Amino acid sequence: MSDALHGGTGVGSVRKVETPAPDGTPGTGHEVLRVEGIVKHFGATKALRGVDFTLNSGEILALVGANGAGKSTLTSILSGIVEASEGRLVVEGREVRLTSILDASQAGIETIVQSFDEALFPGQTVGDNLAFPMLVQHKLGAFPGPQAIRRAAAEVAKGVIDIPLNTAMRELDASERQRVLIARALFTRPKILILDEPTASLDIGESRRLHERIRALADSGTAIIYISHHMKEVADICDRAVVLRDGAKVGEYRAPLDIAQIIRAMLGKSVEVTQDGTHGPAAQDGGRAQGQPEADGDIVLKLRDFRIFTDGESVNLDLREGETLGITGLIGAGKTELLSQIVGASPLIGGTITWRNESFNPRDTGEAIAAGIGYVPENRQSDAEIPLWSVEDNLVFPDLKRYRSRSGFINPSAIRRSSEAIIARMGIVGSSDARIESLSGGNRQKVMIGRWFAAGSKLLVMDEPFRGVDIGARSDIATQLRAAGTAIVASSDPDEILQVADRIIVLSHGAIVAETSAVGMTSGELSELIATGA
Amino acid sequence: MADIRTVIYKYGLLALFALIIVFFFTALPAFGTLQNLYVILQSVAVTAIVALGVTVSMTVGGFDLAVGSTVSLSVMVVAAAQIYHGLGIVWAVVLGLAAGLLVGFTSGALIVYARIPDMLATLGSMFVYSGLSLILTAGKSVSTGNGYNGQAAKGNWDPKLLWIGTGTVFSIPFSIILAVVATIVVVLFLGRTRTGRILEAVGNNPRAARLAGVRTGRYRILAYMISGLLSALGGIVLVARVGRGDINVGSSYLLEAVAATLIGYAVLGANRPNPLGTAVGALFVGVVVNGLTMFNVPYFTQDFIKGALLVVALIVSFSKIFNTRQQED
Repeated sequence: MSDALHGGTGVGSVRKVETPAPDGTPGTGHEVLRVEGIVKHFGATKALRGVDFTLNSGEILALVGANGAGKSTLTSILSGIVEASEGRLVVEGREVRLTSILDASQAGIETIVQSFDEALFPGQTVGDNLAFPMLVQHKLGAFPGPQAIRRAAAEVAKGVIDIPLNTAMRELDASERQRVLIARALFTRPKILILDEPTASLDIGESRRLHERIRALADSGTAIIYISHHMKEVADICDRAVVLRDGAKVGEYRAPLDIAQIIRAMLGKSVEVTQDGTHGPAAQDGGRAQGQPEADGDIVLKLRDFRIFTDGESVNLDLREGETLGITGLIGAGKTELLSQIVGASPLIGGTITWRNESFNPRDTGEAIAAGIGYVPENRQSDAEIPLWSVEDNLVFPDLKRYRSRSGFINPSAIRRSSEAIIARMGIVGSSDARIESLSGGNRQKVMIGRWFAAGSKLLVMDEPFRGVDIGARSDIATQLRAAGTAIVASSDPDEILQVADRIIVLSHGAIVAETSAVGMTSGELSELIATGA
Repeated sequence: MADIRTVIYKYGLLALFALIIVFFFTALPAFGTLQNLYVILQSVAVTAIVALGVTVSMTVGGFDLAVGSTVSLSVMVVAAAQIYHGLGIVWAVVLGLAAGLLVGFTSGALIVYARIPDMLATLGSMFVYSGLSLILTAGKSVSTGNGYNGQAAKGNWDPKLLWIGTGTVFSIPFSIILAVVATIVVVLFLGRTRTGRILEAVGNNPRAARLAGVRTGRYRILAYMISGLLSALGGIVLVARVGRGDINVGSSYLLEAVAATLIGYAVLGANRPNPLGTAVGALFVGVVVNGLTMFNVPYFTQDFIKGALLVVALIVSFSKIFNTRQQED
């Protein structure tokens, strides 16, 4: 189906004749959007600290950055969902203030959110979904009859999608649902279309078709902001890339885009170090003796024919006593899927796990914990912390039965003793009875890790443990990990991996694409491995 | 000023309570007597016990709408056991409490295994079990000497059972002692036992609790069974006090208990279910109703006043005016 995103027939308003702006780069269209000094605070945290960039008509601009870099905040600002604390947005030479999605739409900005199902009504028909914005904007009158809705929907669909309008939305597959949403967005003839991870739920063929459509749309003059974690996609279809890190723009590159360069800018910190070929941060950390990997213990964990994804390759993996294994790879490589099966947070897809010479297939994390495996999940706040509780209550929670006295009541002074010991050992800044929320991110993460030390776990499995953790706390955690012994640490940041790991495996699409010792490896080399694996 | 607002958030409700007590004390000579204190406490004993059940259900992040029906059911079970079937006090009490556990288990199982949202599942239980309590007595109230299905009554109230509702220990009404003990037990249970701590963790962050090894479903069912048990206990105190099994006598306790629990949110700025706050909430409502009755304020204004009190407490707990810790979403 050759559905160009724009129907050629005169639907809606007539497009204005575009005259190039005086400062427009020849050949790439005129400037449609200028973002100037955008700052956004959420309480005390600064999500964006002064971002500038411009966007030209007919251009596909990639917005890239690690999780937490500020991409979604910036997208929300551009689509009118949140307002910037400081800074200006200039659309076609006019400053705009966007306080709602409707404002953005009227300024000519449409956004296709990543979780596009949130923008659709599964219980209604395709036609209802297509006509919905017109219904909201009173374009169909106060009492829109079924005919009016059908007519409006037909107008939106004309030449853009060929799905029958009376099909129930829930009968469509992901790519069709997304197409409905895109058709709806394009009906207002936006000057700027923002696509947030549009291929996240599409297969390769669907992704390719979507890319062709996006290219055609750009060629017809629409400016596109394309947000993706898939560097290859970005390099394939984008004209320019703006890289964000910690809420600031750290790089801007024109096509042809160099994936390794972008990843280095995204993850940062090590760029200067690695370019002159010196050792990565592991060497500077001084914790582990160089050239002496601690990999001579017995094998304690064995994965055989293990599947990270249902339709993925099988993986074999060994972990020795006293070893810290680093697992890295881009987002979507399968790090979380690997870890969550080991700890019983999701069921084993295929293959076997052997833990301390016994076959191991935990039904839930409780069984893994009982076997001595502690899990530090990726999203600390939603998956690990017990909010409103004190530091000590959070610390002892997984192993509460240890603190029960003969009367059956838990013994607060035993909890306090154990908590004070962990606080001292981990260097946690915060008292036992302080609320967990009152601590800084790094200290909160130390509590989440410390709870497994308190429970006497023999293996620590940690997913992105350094996200939102400052460098000082990171180094404390690294020291403790090395002292504590056996651990698996997943992270997409090469510096973090190099700081803690003895041995590193690189994942891509659920398969191991590289395995290496951490000794002597630089952050630049590891970035290359990650990027080429993708 | 944020400071004053925080003070109101934490102590505002208690201060208002104290103020109202002082006002009644000075304006109404009869208010401050020991006799009246017992009247107030006895009137809130059942509400407080049932509200503790609601508090436990809310601790796990749920909401037990079936507590009123549970009160009705346990009243009818106890009454029918004694009058219709001539069973002794032990059987009557055991069956009454078992009825409460059954309601709680049903609600919990519907929530955990059938994955019905808490409010809807307990709404279902509420309907079904209030219907069952009618079936039990063929839709009739149970009182001394009344037969069932054309047969003569087989038994009568055991005076020891009635003592639960009317007896005294050192001249303190037993129902008051029971409510105080229940409060202390629930406070200790939630705060100082492993099971209680886990219930609270499940309510605060079910995902984190699950990943830390908790089988959260079991604990949610347990919380509803505790709620059912406490509601049934409330029903037993109620039937023992009035000495009759009245149809749907429990239905008014749902709103009262929920109100007491939610007013409890505002006690000491807890802003979450807490048994001590619940007891204070129940007492607060009891004091206000008692004082206003002495002022000859007509009975039909009571619900309005209780409702207004609840709304004020909710504003103190939830509105950003006083709760300055609250984050922007």
